[in-house]
Amino acid sequence: MEQLTLPKEKLPELLGEIGSKFELIGPKEENGFLAFRKINDPKEVNLDILLSRVPPKSLIFQQTETLFTYAKGKDSKIQTPKIDESVRVIFGIRPCDARGYDIIDPVFMGKKEGDYTDPFYTKKRNRSILIGLSCNEPDTNCFCTSFDDSPANSKHVDILFTDIGGTYFVEIVTEKGEDLIKNLSKIFSKATEKEGTIRKETEKTAIKAISRKMNTEGAVEKLNKMFEHEFWIEAARSCIGCGICTYLCPTCHCFDMQDESTLKLGGRVRVWDSCMYEEYTHHASGHNPRPSRMNRVRNRVYHKFNYFPKNDGIFGCTGCGRCIDYCPVNIDIIEVIDKVKEVNV
Amino acid sequence: MVENKELIKVVEETVSRDDVKYVIGYKRGTYGFQIKPAFAYSAEDAKEFFYSPLCSKNLATYPLLEEKLPLRRGEEAEHKKIGIVVKGCDSRAIIQIIQEKGLEKEDVVLIGIPCKGVIDPKKIAKRFPKQSKFVDVEENNNDEYILEIGGTSHKIPKDELLSDVCKSCEYPNPPLYDILIGEAEEEFQPEHFNRVDELEEKTIEKRWEYWEKHFQNCIRCYACREACPLCYCKTCMADLLEPQWIRRSVNLSENTAWNVMRAFHLAGRCISCGECERSCPVNIPLMELNKFVEKEVKEMFDYTAGLDTEEKPFLGSFRPDDPEDFIS
Ligand code: SF4
Ligand code: SF4
Ligand code: SF4
Ligand code: SF4
Ligand code: SF4
Repeated sequence: MEQLTLPKEKLPELLGEIGSKFELIGPKEENGFLAFRKINDPKEVNLDILLSRVPPKSLIFQQTETLFTYAKGKDSKIQTPKIDESVRVIFGIRPCDARGYDIIDPVFMGKKEGDYTDPFYTKKRNRSILIGLSCNEPDTNCFCTSFDDSPANSKHVDILFTDIGGTYFVEIVTEKGEDLIKNLSKIFSKATEKEGTIRKETEKTAIKAISRKMNTEGAVEKLNKMFEHEFWIEAARSCIGCGICTYLCPTCHCFDMQDESTLKLGGRVRVWDSCMYEEYTHHASGHNPRPSRMNRVRNRVYHKFNYFPKNDGIFGCTGCGRCIDYCPVNIDIIEVIDKVKEVNV
Repeated sequence: MVENKELIKVVEETVSRDDVKYVIGYKRGTYGFQIKPAFAYSAEDAKEFFYSPLCSKNLATYPLLEEKLPLRRGEEAEHKKIGIVVKGCDSRAIIQIIQEKGLEKEDVVLIGIPCKGVIDPKKIAKRFPKQSKFVDVEENNNDEYILEIGGTSHKIPKDELLSDVCKSCEYPNPPLYDILIGEAEEEFQPEHFNRVDELEEKTIEKRWEYWEKHFQNCIRCYACREACPLCYCKTCMADLLEPQWIRRSVNLSENTAWNVMRAFHLAGRCISCGECERSCPVNIPLMELNKFVEKEVKEMFDYTAGLDTEEKPFLGSFRPDDPEDFIS
C-alpha cells in the first residue's frame, strides 16, 4: 500500500483537479446538516461535521430510481435509462459509511457467480472511487469499534486521508485508487516513517475517544431463542413507526416498486421503503403478517443482529449511531442489544 | 416547578386505580439531553418517571397508536383508561382529538403539568455537544436553566435554549386535566412566532426559493406525521394508491405536495406543539407552515384549535358570515 502525504492547504487544488476531470461528490453543509452533493467549487466541501445526515448509501442505492419508462399508445416502447458508467469520485466518506456499502453489496450484487446483480446499484458502485476520511473526533453515539472496525480503517475505501495536523496522510488502498492518483498531477509527497507513526497515534487517540460500546457477543444465539418473547412488546412500546432509524441507516436497503404515470407517459420507479411502516407488509388481501409495532421493531433488530450474521456472516450495523441520534423517542439500539442479553429465556 | 416526588406519587395513585390500564410519562434517556416516553403498568414502574424542561415530546400520540388486536368470539373489549402526563399543548392535542371523536374523555386520565416551556433539543445539543451520559436540566426562578456537566455547573439564560414554539405559546397551562401537578403558571405575554413574520416580509419568489431549498431535502420518511398527535387518520392519504394523490417518487414536486397537503390537513387542528419540526430528520422548518395556517385561521375565522371538547371542528363547521373574499 503506497503511503503519501498532502499538505492541507493543497486540498482545494487536488479537489479542483479531480473536479475538472471527473464528477466529484463531497460533503456539503446545507440547512444545518451535512449532505453528499456534487461539488463545483472545492470551497463548498465541509470536513468539520462528522457524518452526513442521510448516509451516502443514497449515492448508490438511490432513494428514487427509475427502472424503465414507457409511452402509451400503439408504438409504445419500453425504454430503460442509460446508467452513467463514467468515473465518479466520492470524497470525504467516513470509514463506517464506506463499510455500509460492503455490507449491502451482496444484496444487490450477489454473492457468487450466477447470482442476480442489480445493474443500477452495481454500475453506480463500480463507477465510484471512494476517498475516505478518517474520523479524528468521533461523535457521541459512534461505536464502529464494537464491530472490529476503526475510525481510521482503510479497508473499505480506495484511498484514505487521515488528518495528522497540517498534513493529510494518504493511503492508496486499491488499484482503483492507484489509477486515480496516476491520473493526477504530482502534488503528493512520499510519507516518512515519522508521519506513519503520527498516523497510528492519531488513530489510537480517535479509538479512545469512542465512549459507547455495543456488546454483540452471543447476541445472534440469544436472538435465536427469543423471537416470541414479550420483551419485544416492551421494546416497541414507545416506537412511533417513523422510519427515521431505517432511512438514515447506511445498511437498510428495503425498497418498494411503483408504477407512476401521467396520461401519456409512465415509468416504474424503485423507492426506499422501511420495515418500520405498517404498510410495508400490508398484503393486498388486507392481511398484515406484521400487524403491530412490536413485530416491526423486532424485525429491524433481527435483520441486523440475527439474519444478517446468519446469511452473510456480518452484522448489519456499522456503528454509525444515526438511528440513536435521530430516533424521536430515544430507542437506542445499543441499549436494546444490552437488554436482549439480560432477557431470561 | 414540578416536583418529581409529587409527580411520581400521582402516577402511582393513578396507575393503581382499577379503571386505569397504564400511565404514559417521561423517563431519562440514554445519553445527552434525551428523554424517553415511559409506560407505567404498576406503581413500581412509576418510580422512574420524571419531569424537567427537557420533556418536550408530545405524548398525546400514544393512545391512538395502540394496536387493537381482533377480539375472539365472546371476548369483550377492555374499557380501561390510559393516563397521560400532559403539558399545555399536549392537553390541547387531546382536546382536539376528543372534539374530532378520535377519543372520548372517558378513555384518558390527564395528569396536567403547568408548563414553563421546554428546551429545544437541537439548541441544547449544539451548545453542549458530545454528552454520552444523560444530563438533566433544571429551571430557576430567574429565567435561567441550570445544568451540571462533569462537576461544572452551567447557568444559561432561558431564552437561548427555549423552543421557538414555547416562546409564542398562549396556553402553557393544560386547558383540560384531571389532576394538576403543582400550581398553574401565571399568564404571560407570548411573543409573536417571529419566524412567520420574517417569511411574510419576503417576496413570493424569495419565499418559494426558501421552501424549495427545504423541500428538496425531504426524504418522505413521514416522521412529521407519525410524531404528530393529530395525524391519526387510519389511512393517510399519502399512503393511498388508488387514487394516488402523491407519488412515491421523492423529488421536489412530490415533496412539496406532501408538505403543503399535510399543512392543509392540520388547518384548525394543529395545536403548535412543534413535535413535527422536532422530529424531522432534515431540519425542515415545518412550524413556519403550521403557524402561518394557524394565523390565517385565527384572523379569518376567529378559531383556535384544541380549547373546547364540545366545539365543532373548524373544517366541519360553517357560519353564514364566514369570509369568502378568497373565492374569486
Ligand atoms: S443500525 Fe443504527 S448504528 Fe447501526 S448502521 Fe444502522 S443507523 Fe448506524
Ligand atoms: S426512529 Fe425510533 S420511533 Fe422511529 S421507527 Fe425507528 S425506533 Fe421507531
Ligand atoms: S419528517 Fe421531514 S423529511 Fe420526513 S417526511 Fe416530514 S418533512 Fe419530510
Ligand atoms: S402539526 Fe406539528 S405542531 Fe401541529 S399538532 Fe402536529 S406535531 Fe404538533
Ligand atoms: S396528513 Fe392528512 S391524511 Fe395524513 S394522517 Fe395527517 S391528517 Fe390524516
